[in-house]
Amino acid sequence: MLVSGTLFMHSNDSHPRLLARLEARRCLKDIEPRLFAEDEGPRHGEVVELCGAEGTGKTELLYHLLCRCVLPEAAGGLEVDALFVDTDYSLDMLRLVSILDSRLSSALRSSLSRLLVVHCSSSSQLLLTLHYLETTLNSRPSLALLLIDSISAFYWLDRCEGGASISRQEEKLSKCAELLGRLLRDYKFTIFATCHTIRRSCSGLAASRSSTLEADRPYLCRPWQRLVTHRVLCSRQEAENHTAGGSREEKRQVFRVHCSSSSSRTKASRISSFCVTDAGVQFI
Amino acid sequence: MEVCCAACSLLTSKQWRTLSHLTSKKLLRNVPFPTSLDKLLDSGLYTGEVTELSGGPGSGKSQVCFGVAVHVSHQLKQRVIYIDTTGGLTASRLLEMLQSETSDRDEQMEALQRIHVFRLFDAYSLRDRLSTLRSGGLLQASGGGSVKAVIVDSVSAVISPLLGGKQNEGMSLMIQAALALKTMAKDFGVAVLVTNHVTRGGRGEVQPGLGASWSHIPRSRILLERTDRAPSGCSSTLRSATLIKSSRQPCLIKEELDLQWWSRSERRSSGKRKRDEADS
Repeated sequence: MLVSGTLFMHSNDSHPRLLARLEARRCLKDIEPRLFAEDEGPRHGEVVELCGAEGTGKTELLYHLLCRCVLPEAAGGLEVDALFVDTDYSLDMLRLVSILDSRLSSALRSSLSRLLVVHCSSSSQLLLTLHYLETTLNSRPSLALLLIDSISAFYWLDRCEGGASISRQEEKLSKCAELLGRLLRDYKFTIFATCHTIRRSCSGLAASRSSTLEADRPYLCRPWQRLVTHRVLCSRQEAENHTAGGSREEKRQVFRVHCSSSSSRTKASRISSFCVTDAGVQFI
Repeated sequence: MEVCCAACSLLTSKQWRTLSHLTSKKLLRNVPFPTSLDKLLDSGLYTGEVTELSGGPGSGKSQVCFGVAVHVSHQLKQRVIYIDTTGGLTASRLLEMLQSETSDRDEQMEALQRIHVFRLFDAYSLRDRLSTLRSGGLLQASGGGSVKAVIVDSVSAVISPLLGGKQNEGMSLMIQAALALKTMAKDFGVAVLVTNHVTRGGRGEVQPGLGASWSHIPRSRILLERTDRAPSGCSSTLRSATLIKSSRQPCLIKEELDLQWWSRSERRSSGKRKRDEADS
């Protein structure tokens, strides 16, 4: 009996690695339907960039997505593994556990065992971490989500080290982006990364549209910009009065997200709002 | 590079144990300064985080920093690392503040010895000093004791002259100092307090200085301002504190604080009661 069909094998491939690459990881298209436009959720191998000024809720959104991933299906989660790369030292375990606790009464430990955390303090360390990522992906076939907070943490450090030549300034982040691109193609997981804005936008009455656009313009290197398929712009709205059940009126900070997807299929965009409560992000 | 660790092991690490068993005591987890600032900061300065205090000249930033240093060294009996870049700290001032807390000479001396002061006046020394402290120098600098607070007053005085223009070095120094502060806060479990100056934004409103790249570094930011209403004929010691960024409190809330209490120039019964409330 003739068996037809070809298997593309690398020279140093072995069985577990091959299986880890061929087996499909959980697709995260339905991770948060209120954030993305109709049927435009991130598919295999796509990258979502969350950018915005300080205090606009980017890290809270990451916690929200993380909880959605690691919670068991009975509690409304997806039961996949997630890796959190923390370059900003902003991961607050206490906050994360309190969000998980409010959505879930038991099985906290098993949910947390699906989460891996890495700290990096320079872009060389980030590059090394991503090289190490391949081993982790091989050993954990249920790892479907990579969260990076934030990808722009070493921007100024790299620019100074690179001296006068722009290509040397962007060298490390370009290498990280190329490595991520290769891993995405091979292992088909999804990435969510936050990116801080480096310019203040003057949002006054007399401000022109161009100044706001300039603040939101992507400034990271080209290989990273080519990798990004969905771009989510986070901003803060004026606090609005909200009657919370009782007679007391309290002001809640409302955050606005504008998600534009530019994958190969279509260009779509969607605007939604959320506020942050003790139980995490709540869309309104 | 820290190896990948499952989040469960983070739960059992020292930091989590400290947080969980001390939530009832509320003593070492955060550095409470028993004033209206407590309400803004959700019960005090948190260890493992960077808190920023910004304000114009004469708004009381250094005074609040002195108050925090004295409180940590005297009430909580922990060590403080104080990095002074403006030359505003004098031991006699700290002694004066301690004298209003206790009249026992030995206690005053002990508390003073727990505050370790470094004086630097340029950005390179700041970066080098923070890197040394971060890579193990914290224990050596404090003579083997446990450091609970690191205060940098002020970070903008040395960094802002280097910013601007087309040079990247100033921004890079700022981010290096910031990363050293954050890793120190997280790894050693200390509360970091920094001060910053203010500038005017596009609409003329007062905002903290050092730009958008610095704004991501502190976890909580407080803006100190002089209050408009002042009793006629005397200089007001009242200041208003606004919370402009916080990961815990919901919104922009304002509180008023009286610098006279912070400077401890008079021992008042109301001040004493507030301290006792916090310690119980």
